[in-house]
Amino acid sequence: MEALIRPEFGLMFWTIFIFILLVLILSKTAWKPLMKAVEEREHGIRHDREAAEKARLEAEKIKEGLEAGMAALKIEIEARLNEARAAGVRERDLIMEDARKSAALLIETAKTELESQKNAMVRELKDKVAELAILAAERVLQKTIDQKADRELVNHFLKELETGDSKYKLGK
Amino acid sequence: MELKAILEHHILDHIWTFFSLGPLTLPFSKHVLMMVIAALVLLIGLPALISSKSPALAPFRSMVEIIVLFLRDEVVGPNLGHKTAAYLPYFSTLFFFILAMNLAGLVPYGATATGNLAVTGGLALTTFVLLNVSGMREQGVVGYFSHLVPKGVPFWLYPLLFPMELLGMLTKTFALCVRLFANMIGGHIVVLSLISLIFIFGGLNTALGLGVTAPIAVLMVLFVMLLELFVAFLQAYIFTFLTAIFTGAAMHPH
Repeated sequence: MEALIRPEFGLMFWTIFIFILLVLILSKTAWKPLMKAVEEREHGIRHDREAAEKARLEAEKIKEGLEAGMAALKIEIEARLNEARAAGVRERDLIMEDARKSAALLIETAKTELESQKNAMVRELKDKVAELAILAAERVLQKTIDQKADRELVNHFLKELETGDSKYKLGK
Repeated sequence: MELKAILEHHILDHIWTFFSLGPLTLPFSKHVLMMVIAALVLLIGLPALISSKSPALAPFRSMVEIIVLFLRDEVVGPNLGHKTAAYLPYFSTLFFFILAMNLAGLVPYGATATGNLAVTGGLALTTFVLLNVSGMREQGVVGYFSHLVPKGVPFWLYPLLFPMELLGMLTKTFALCVRLFANMIGGHIVVLSLISLIFIFGGLNTALGLGVTAPIAVLMVLFVMLLELFVAFLQAYIFTFLTAIFTGAAMHPH
């Protein structure tokens, strides 16, 4: 059993020789491609993460810009709306004023028209009355034989007026 | 047959022939064969596995990758710092070589090459050389030896501490060698003893040996074999881990 703890130096040589050979060969054939693949993947992951981070920052910036734009737009819309409202009020006042003015003008012209019409009618009436008076006087003068005849004549004339002879009718 | 003879047959190396290579007389033995088989498996298997794109092999590929990344991040990295990438191939090979030899001993007709003091001694010797060479490369020969003794020690203690540190370096590596060796043969001795129990009890009474001892012994052997499987990984890890710690300590004395 003492062979168990009696090292065989040839075997020790084999061990060291084979191990060093393994280190040299496996470094080239196994560990190099393995580490290369691992590092490539790690690099890829790092790169992806950085790219994602960058994209996120960019998106945030864009969002911020958009929000600022929205706020500015809102303010502008508010201003425009107020302006439009004020303009509308102004316009309405202007239109009302105009309408009021033109209505007053219309009333004024209508009044004057009425006045002139009335005047013309009065004048015409006066003429007509005068004419009638002259006509009546003519008849009276033609038949001044007696009082009776005169009365008859006047009565006849008045009847004529009442029956609606168009010739002597007042107005139209 | 005595138990001693059985143990010797199963645990000791069997040298089949010697041949001369220049001034060296080299043996060709069972353990050399197992070591060569383990080395060939690694030499052919690992590059083929790593470079293969087959999805069926993907789990095994990622197993190797996980182990190497674990060695890089948890074992070599904390001890060697920025030199990790340069030394990682050495430590990966060390781990897989010891693991392959340990596992080869669990296969039927296999033998555990790491259950041989010459093999573990050879591995410990490479560690000894590695930690001295890496320390000298990092700090220079003078700097390395002047940093062997920790800083802050009174100067009159130097003559006492310097030989002690040198001795400590030897014992550290010697412990590495014995730890691996003892762990690998321990399980085998237990398994052989348990199986021998069947025949000892069978010699007393055939029914007792076959009916009572055999089932219990086989169950126990199964348990010890599973334990050995665990120990095979554990000892490979411990050897690598301690080598990394010693190398790191030699490179960065503070």
